[in-house]
Amino acid sequence: MYMFIISILTLIIVGCGDGGSDQGEGKENKSKGTIGVSVLTLGNPFFSVIAEEIKKEAGKHGYDVIVVDGDRDVQKQANQIDDFITKGVSAIILNPCDRQSIGPAIEKANKAAIPVFTCDLKCVAEGAEVVSHVGSDNLQGGRLAGEAMVEALGQEGGEVLIVHFPQANSCQLRVQGFEEVISKYNDGLSANRIEVVAQLDGGGVRDEGYKVTEDTLQAHPELRGIFAINDPSGLGARAALEKAGKEHQVVIVAFDGQPEGKQAIKDGKIFADPIQFPDLIGKKTVELIMDYFAGNEVEKEVLIPTKLYRKEDGINDPDLK
Amino acid sequence: MKWFKSIFSSDYGMLGVLILLCGFFSWITLEEQNPEGSEAAFQLYENIQNEDKIGGVLIAGRKTKTGNQFVEQLKDLLKDDGWVVLDTVQGGPPQLANALKGIIAQNKKLQLLACEEVFAKMPVLENFRNSEKGMKGVKILTPETKLWPNFLKSSNLLNIANQIAVIAILAIGMTLVIVTAGIDLSVGSLIAFSAVLATWFVREFFGADEATNFGMICACSLAISVCAGLGLFSGSMIAFFGVAPFVATLGMMMIASGLAYMISGGLSIYELPVRFSWLGRGDDFGGLPNAVILMVILYLLAHLVMSRTTMGRYIYAVGGNTEAARLSGVPVKKVLLWVYASCGALAGLGGVIMASQFRSGDPKYGLMYELYVIAAVVVGGTSLAGGKGKIFGTLIGAFIIAVIQNGMNLTGVQSYTQKVVLGTVLLLAVLLDMMKKRGWKLSI
Amino acid sequence: MNSENPPYFCLEGIEKKFPGVHALKNIDFDLKKGECVALLGENGAGKSTLIKIMGGAQRADSGILKVDEEVQVWMNPIDSINAGVAVIYQEFNLVPGLTVAENILLGIEPQNFGIIRKKEERKRVLEILKKIGAELDPDTICENLTVAEKQLVEIGKAIIRDAKILIMDEPSAALTKKEVQQLYLLIDDLKVKGIGIVYVSHRLEEIERVADRAIILRDGERIGQLERHELDRTRIIEMMVGRKLDNEFPSNIREPGDSIFRIENLSRGSKVKNISFEVREGEILAFTGLVGAGRTETVRILFGADEKDYGKIELFGKELTLRNPSDAIESGICLLTEDRKEQGLILAHSIKENFGLPNLKRFSFKGWVNKSTESSAFENYVKKLKIKISGHNQVASQLSGGNQQKVVMAKWLERNADILIFDEPTRGIDVGAKFEIYQWMNQLAKSGKGIVMISSELPEVLGMSDRILVMKDGEIKAEFKNDSELTQETIMSVAMEAK
Repeated sequence: MYMFIISILTLIIVGCGDGGSDQGEGKENKSKGTIGVSVLTLGNPFFSVIAEEIKKEAGKHGYDVIVVDGDRDVQKQANQIDDFITKGVSAIILNPCDRQSIGPAIEKANKAAIPVFTCDLKCVAEGAEVVSHVGSDNLQGGRLAGEAMVEALGQEGGEVLIVHFPQANSCQLRVQGFEEVISKYNDGLSANRIEVVAQLDGGGVRDEGYKVTEDTLQAHPELRGIFAINDPSGLGARAALEKAGKEHQVVIVAFDGQPEGKQAIKDGKIFADPIQFPDLIGKKTVELIMDYFAGNEVEKEVLIPTKLYRKEDGINDPDLK
Repeated sequence: MKWFKSIFSSDYGMLGVLILLCGFFSWITLEEQNPEGSEAAFQLYENIQNEDKIGGVLIAGRKTKTGNQFVEQLKDLLKDDGWVVLDTVQGGPPQLANALKGIIAQNKKLQLLACEEVFAKMPVLENFRNSEKGMKGVKILTPETKLWPNFLKSSNLLNIANQIAVIAILAIGMTLVIVTAGIDLSVGSLIAFSAVLATWFVREFFGADEATNFGMICACSLAISVCAGLGLFSGSMIAFFGVAPFVATLGMMMIASGLAYMISGGLSIYELPVRFSWLGRGDDFGGLPNAVILMVILYLLAHLVMSRTTMGRYIYAVGGNTEAARLSGVPVKKVLLWVYASCGALAGLGGVIMASQFRSGDPKYGLMYELYVIAAVVVGGTSLAGGKGKIFGTLIGAFIIAVIQNGMNLTGVQSYTQKVVLGTVLLLAVLLDMMKKRGWKLSI
Repeated sequence: MNSENPPYFCLEGIEKKFPGVHALKNIDFDLKKGECVALLGENGAGKSTLIKIMGGAQRADSGILKVDEEVQVWMNPIDSINAGVAVIYQEFNLVPGLTVAENILLGIEPQNFGIIRKKEERKRVLEILKKIGAELDPDTICENLTVAEKQLVEIGKAIIRDAKILIMDEPSAALTKKEVQQLYLLIDDLKVKGIGIVYVSHRLEEIERVADRAIILRDGERIGQLERHELDRTRIIEMMVGRKLDNEFPSNIREPGDSIFRIENLSRGSKVKNISFEVREGEILAFTGLVGAGRTETVRILFGADEKDYGKIELFGKELTLRNPSDAIESGICLLTEDRKEQGLILAHSIKENFGLPNLKRFSFKGWVNKSTESSAFENYVKKLKIKISGHNQVASQLSGGNQQKVVMAKWLERNADILIFDEPTRGIDVGAKFEIYQWMNQLAKSGKGIVMISSELPEVLGMSDRILVMKDGEIKAEFKNDSELTQETIMSVAMEAK
């Protein structure tokens, strides 16, 4: 029994030791400092790519990186920021778990004179000073998605469902861009218009996306298109279509360009994705930090444009099977 | 293994675990620390006196309270000593760069850069040294570092207390509930509900950003009362209809969460006066955070209730053996109602503190908190079978969880590993507790 | 019976001790194939313990168990079933939500790689049901069966596991007359099939009908055995009761006063039917009868622990409404429960806390407990009742039965109630403590309290009480004035009267 307890204690120590040794190695190389990163959730590959890229890029400049998972819990993230301050990190990078509530935590970092950068998601709280924000151009991406939808539906137009996630500001921008393009297309058309028949909250996850699509198919059996604000909810929608046997009637335009999303595009399950470039976002953020450290004034906001990813891109993509 | 048993055999056996953990994290987070403020200034001044005066000094400090102290103090000391202080910098790299550019532009001789440690590492200096001839001979002086654990910095210890305050306050109510052999799954949702409700009241009825102190107190008290009411409702389902506590509070968990989303429309409510954050972020009493002080007061109060009042006795009795308690004349139903209402009220208070900490109310608050709260109670030695448990044990349990999380964040352990470790600690704590009860035998 | 038929199931020199009680003393027992032996004894004589040892639910401290000449060591009931010995307890071990077939084959389902062969299952169950002459649909959910049918399922369960010995604990207790007759036929049939049966019952007429032999236990000892032709009621009762009255009881000369506690037509379900009686000032009134006669159920109503269907409870001429025990306690009634461990004490808590529980209001001011008042009150009783403890904070479970009972007494004496109800006050308590408890009961009666004592032990009933009520099937069957002419046999014959 005691062996068991001791072995578990060892496990804890080894667990902590791992983290410690990372730092140890950094010290040998005369680390210039540490950058603390708290991402929205590591459960979404988008953010782990950002984190990986930050690690890689900062390593090139001689900085250590600590990545922690905010787990979509703003209090947890605030605690992580506290701990970063205690550790005396050189800079903090955040994907805020809540654009308002994270404010006070950032203010604390401001008080400790640790520069804060955000990427992908913004902080809009008053009084919280963020040096710079790097994100995808969601409005432009939404427009791309709208164009893709117009292209996919062709002359006939038809009924369209938006699988939304209204809590996220980025998704609101995407939908705004999408609707802009659709209404421009409809201008002057009396027939064969593209009608957005429903905007439902798919939670940005697969099972919710599945549910809302299934329900919409009941109400609108003639549905022709679906715009999902990210890949998981798009794939959920696809599953619902397949179950209803309507995968040939309805086209899906999703967003993000996560690996499984790209694979689905290659397989023809999703028509196209405006893809984001999390690696570029991560890289650009580190570049901005280095620029700031070098004593330069940096831009308040940098937007990285998205690009439409189609089947041909999938076929030529070396990362896909 | 005698020492092992003696540590864990006492009522507050987990205190030993907590101390061990603190020791461990102190050891592993031992790091060179930079002195701050005037201490740093005096130390640096001593060093500078060894230098010959052949040029001017640039002093650089961060834009913080201690940074300011450092800069001002050192400037006065050096000026009194006859040094030429060319410029002072308070801020980050861009400000330092500007100051350096200014000195170069004015063609002044810079001999020393006296700065806080962070500046010495910045690439900005490297750049200047490489590009400007005049900068090559500049000597950079920083205060000497000393060895001290990050974990034991007073600011970090306060952080730990502050971080766990909400969970610890909720855990008081949960301890009462678990001592009656019940469980309350709704506390996490009640946090969100209460935070949303309090901020919504402020926004809708008490003048939003211009709310008075009285208005805010009213809003918060109302929110707490409503949560107590919801707790009372769960309690009555349990006491009068015999619904299992797990089920009754599971229902309440969904109801409260749904209500929070309904009231807030899924978005956070932030139209609040700055003073709203007094409870969650103020530290008016000797530098201790208000939330921590509140937590300590509540623990003392709860300890008195549990150990000194009839209600406390009744709570233990109901959990120890409901039938025997009833046959001894204990008003079992009243006790259950009181316990669940208190648990609801404390969850409501937790929600108010959280809203205050973030100066906003968000229906996403408190996700999974019930599980952390239950974990704190269980690690603290309260038996899920009821009838046993100590309030301060729960506080220790909460701190064990906080210290593990904080320590792992400080050492940079990945989030996934953190979960594994926390889960393991929870299991280990329960296992130890059961072994203790069986007289240190492994199996039944 | 064939005399060459050797004993198939033998117990030799079985000993079993529980803390404070010597439950079985050197018990021998034997059973042949195709024989039905009755096991007889008063409550607490050791029958249940013996059955549990036979069924592998408990282990003997010493002694030998043999099946078919082979010595057995059973760690659990499964071992005993595998050896061919099955016990059918009064509380059936059936899963209520499963069907007859599923219950009969529980754990031995015919299966292919985890998939149950339904047809095979049905076939085997029908076969077994036919064998024991039970007309049951294998697909009925057991919850919906009558007691007799459940019993058949239990028997089927035993037979399908190839049981050679069937032990039936009070099998007729909850059966109707007709069902009992059918049970007799089934037993005869099983005997013919070579199955040995141990039949435990209080009902003497049943013993005369089914048993080939009877073995009688008293106070954990085997008193003797009677062959079929010797089976006779008076003789059985004599052997079961056996003891003579000796100085177990303190002298109790007193003059009961006026009636203070009156009960009229108290009823609740089938366990309490139209109970009327009264308790006088300074009187000890005994309730006796067999276990399950409805005595405990009656006093629980008087204590507000259960609700009555109808009836009237009057104390000092005032009618009481008792919604819960608190009401009863406030009115001056208290109950010392039969089951100290489950109902009388919170075993995991300290004895002082147990003592304080019903008295906290007296020890507190505005909800705050004054611990020193509580302690000194408790210390007072520790001295008065001579409770042997290591300290006030000792956990209740660590005390012996006698001391536990004294703590329970202390907690109620502090209430200073007018009516004290003692449910089996001396069960599981050693002789010394018993005497002290009897003294206290006498003293309470002397001081003018009304005392109700439930007891199954007839010597105790005769030694302590002023009047005796005998209950059976939820009704009061007889009332005796306790004078020198009253004997245990008289009471027993009322308590055991046929249906």
